[in-house]
Amino acid sequence: MADKSTDPAALWQSMLGEMEKGFNAFASQAMASPEFSKVMNQAGSAGAGAQKQFGDMMEKYLLGLNLPSRAQMVDIAGRLQSIEAQLGEIRTMLQQSRAGSPGADSASEPQRPPRTRRPPSPEGTPT
Amino acid sequence: MNAGLDLASIPERIQSEVQRAIQRSIKGVEYFATSGPSLGLTPKDVLSTRGTMNLYHYRPMTDEIYRVPILIVMATTNRGYILDMVPGQSFIEFLLKRGYDVYMLDWTAPKPEEKRLGMEDYVLDFIPHCIRRVQQDSGEQDVSVIGYCFGGVLSLLYGSIFSDGPMKNLVLFTTPIDFREMKLFQNFSDRRYFDVDRLVDSVGNVPPEMILSSFEMLRPASRGISQVQLWDNIWNDEYVKSFRMFDRWATDTLPLAGEYFRAITKDLMWDNKLFNDTMSVGGHKAQLADIKVPVLHAVAEHDHIVPYEAARHLVTKIGSTDKEEIMLKGGHVSLVAGANAVKRLWPKLDSWLAGRST
Repeated sequence: MADKSTDPAALWQSMLGEMEKGFNAFASQAMASPEFSKVMNQAGSAGAGAQKQFGDMMEKYLLGLNLPSRAQMVDIAGRLQSIEAQLGEIRTMLQQSRAGSPGADSASEPQRPPRTRRPPSPEGTPT
Repeated sequence: MNAGLDLASIPERIQSEVQRAIQRSIKGVEYFATSGPSLGLTPKDVLSTRGTMNLYHYRPMTDEIYRVPILIVMATTNRGYILDMVPGQSFIEFLLKRGYDVYMLDWTAPKPEEKRLGMEDYVLDFIPHCIRRVQQDSGEQDVSVIGYCFGGVLSLLYGSIFSDGPMKNLVLFTTPIDFREMKLFQNFSDRRYFDVDRLVDSVGNVPPEMILSSFEMLRPASRGISQVQLWDNIWNDEYVKSFRMFDRWATDTLPLAGEYFRAITKDLMWDNKLFNDTMSVGGHKAQLADIKVPVLHAVAEHDHIVPYEAARHLVTKIGSTDKEEIMLKGGHVSLVAGANAVKRLWPKLDSWLAGRST
């Protein structure tokens, strides 16, 4: 077995680990300053503003081309998802009412196990 | 002669490194040509979906289950499949095999029109709605709640407002309450420079890229180093599989509803209201001392997202007499998922919860 102190692979891994720790610690210290917060938030707010303006502009452009915008596509996807969700809920309700009815076909709905489980005994088997 | 330098082993090591280099080239091509493992495949049924909110019921895996069902409340920034990775590394599968009846409140990206969802929608509507559906589906009144990260904060708010029940047990994983102690997040959201109103008013929902970069900025070198480590270990299938699972999850960040983000920033990050006992949601006071049910809080020793200082007063401030905090080795994610969690957190949780689930 190779000694870790002379194994190049182990040395490389250890160096990477140390480099990561060192850089993270240094960056955390730098990012904890109020100056960093100021610069980061100025850049972030400018970016968000530009993104919004660009989005608005694209929407107008697509409207001019008689094409749906991203927001409209998202809206359609949302409506489809909502229809799917409602179908899912109806399916669950139907299954529940079928399971509760006297002539229910027990094979179509998996039976729920009884809620009688007890914690394992100290020996490890359920009591 | 250096005792550590074994000259006889040098040819063997060179051969091994050459083989690894060849394997790296082959597997490197494979890596880009294939997708990662499929995640979140434990069989489940969708019980309810309302916009960003999804309630799942996982199909039991034992012949007999505990009386009290579990509702897991996922963090709103990330997808719930972190708790259902692959067979053998799925927390959900573990719970099912130990005889629990498991439900999960999971989130999808809020749509533009959901930007108005506020804290009250999450705490006074979504969670109570899911609790009612769990009661209805299971036929049981009592429900145990497990909250992960910010899902834990939402569970705390729910539990303190609905302190008369039906929550029977509360389990929290890495849940912050003292937001002053989240030092870097505090600095990123410094009220002198961070105009949350302007941001929310201009973008609506807060984009996932912004959430992801604020997480990544907590450890800026880690992403680059992880890519180097991936290349180093690309010959190792298990390493690559695990890397792909966690990397996919970590980058699959969700946007946050605008009003909800505004409330988090103002009430929690700026005014630290949950810690100061001045928090209210939709006019309802939310005080941790009102929670009287058994509580288990699991924290991670090396958590860089929720440092221990931000979570350490939780158990002290809870009103319960049956309460416990456990600190385990690991980080924010490895506490709950992956090989470490299988050995550490999951068995501990099972031994705590089993006796309280009958």
